[in-house]
Amino acid sequence: MTQLEIEGKVFNVDGDGFLVNPQLWNEEIAALFAKHDGTGQLNEKHWAIINFIRNHWLENDMAPMVRKICQNTGLRLKEIYTLFPMGPAKGACKIAGLPKPDGCV
Amino acid sequence: MAGEKVIIMAKNNSLTEKQKKALKLLKSRLNGRLLTHLNSCVHCGLCGESCHYYLATKNKNFIPGKKVDIVSSIYQRYHTLAGKVAPRLYGAKDFNDKTVEELIDIVFGACSMCGRCSVHCSIGVDVPYIVRTARSMLVEMELVSPGLQSTVDAAINTGNNMGIPRDEFVDTLEWLSEDLEMEVEDEDASIPLDKKGVDILYTLNPREPKFFPLSISAIAKIYYAAKENWTLSTNVYDVTNYAYFSGDDKGAKELTERLCDEMSKLEAKTLVLAECGHGYRAIRWEGPNWIERPYPFKVISVVELIGDYIRSCRIKLDPSLNKLPVTLHDPCNMVRGGGVIEVQRFVIKNAVENFIEMMPNRANNFCCGGGGGQLAMSEYAERRIKSGKIKADQIRKTGAKIVATPCHNCIDQLMELNKEYQLGVEIKTIGELVADALVLEEKSN
Repeated sequence: MTQLEIEGKVFNVDGDGFLVNPQLWNEEIAALFAKHDGTGQLNEKHWAIINFIRNHWLENDMAPMVRKICQNTGLRLKEIYTLFPMGPAKGACKIAGLPKPDGCV
Repeated sequence: MAGEKVIIMAKNNSLTEKQKKALKLLKSRLNGRLLTHLNSCVHCGLCGESCHYYLATKNKNFIPGKKVDIVSSIYQRYHTLAGKVAPRLYGAKDFNDKTVEELIDIVFGACSMCGRCSVHCSIGVDVPYIVRTARSMLVEMELVSPGLQSTVDAAINTGNNMGIPRDEFVDTLEWLSEDLEMEVEDEDASIPLDKKGVDILYTLNPREPKFFPLSISAIAKIYYAAKENWTLSTNVYDVTNYAYFSGDDKGAKELTERLCDEMSKLEAKTLVLAECGHGYRAIRWEGPNWIERPYPFKVISVVELIGDYIRSCRIKLDPSLNKLPVTLHDPCNMVRGGGVIEVQRFVIKNAVENFIEMMPNRANNFCCGGGGGQLAMSEYAERRIKSGKIKADQIRKTGAKIVATPCHNCIDQLMELNKEYQLGVEIKTIGELVADALVLEEKSN
């Protein structure tokens, strides 16, 4: 576990910067994480994705497939990668306060 | 007398049950091959400068020869007469909590099993093989890094290493299939699922359907252009084998057997592996050893297949459709450890206008830093990014705008390096480059 400091606030994160305790997440944390990882200011499209991922995780205990993100937000696949340059996992899921998914991500 | 004291110390050493299991595993692996590699290091030091961990940190414990030493000293201590009688005289090391801690830090935390040290070794010691043996000992002790273990567990328990439910996998593939129809403007175009009697059973890295499906669309378009008779299984499609990384031979065997069974169920002729470095190494080369028999089918990488399509004019490419300068990152397990070296260059040169080799390359290439299961082990992430600086510098020097690599694991690490070291490049699979250059046949109607 490491500590990540953004604008004077300290978060317990794993080595990849994912929140150690995903329950502590809130929108302010999302905005700070986004600023920190280079995603920048979050717009409406970002929030649509973040909220969908967050709710999917709360209900199913797993990150959604990117297809579901597209179909539920109405965004095109390539837009997701532009909105989150670090991709759906290390970008969007991290900002949505999920634990790091298994696998090659 | 000093000698007596040494003997007493050796006798007094008490081992836990788990430590005994690990030593038993080591003993069971002591065949001619392992004995030779454990006893051959002459400490010439050439390996140090070849290792990205040592170069990035200058930590002498990360010199590959030192990694061999720690395993060798445990072997000396418990499995040789000299080491048992007078451990200190023979550099033998007690297997205690401190040694175990050191072993974990070195074999999981400071080695991507990339094998560059072995290429440079003056006598060819197979360092990744020794490191994997040590990882197998830690499997016996249930001390595999948690992220790596949960990835293996997901693959064994759910059929893929990201735990994707089958219905969600099917939905995604159907969605991509519709996309393909629109892309090529042909309602007969599709991604066939669970089709029997095909020439090719294709595989995927689960991160493709889960988060990065553009690479699936690319390959599906190439198969469409080549009029390939292929399918994907909705039950067994995972090209990865993280048990290869963790050192768990039982798990590795199980995953290999599943692929064999699926090939037989679908009566497929050739197993084609997605762009995955360790998947290629594990399935193509290690698999038959785990299942203790040769495969009754052919196994190739999709990159080799694309090479065949180009040579036999089954697909037509227009390199002017890829104008930006492209460089290639050689995945260690596919190139150094797998022998697929030239075909990716042949394919890229046919698909892009401007190809620039990074230096060094081919079997001498540096690891991206994400191999060996490192991406799954968060506790070593900082070291992983630090050791990847060498790769970032290599990329920057080429001046390329696109980095192509036939490995999804490398892609993820390269994406992080791209951000951390501000390279300003785009990372792509080889399939994606080829799909962008495809010239489809004019429709006859």
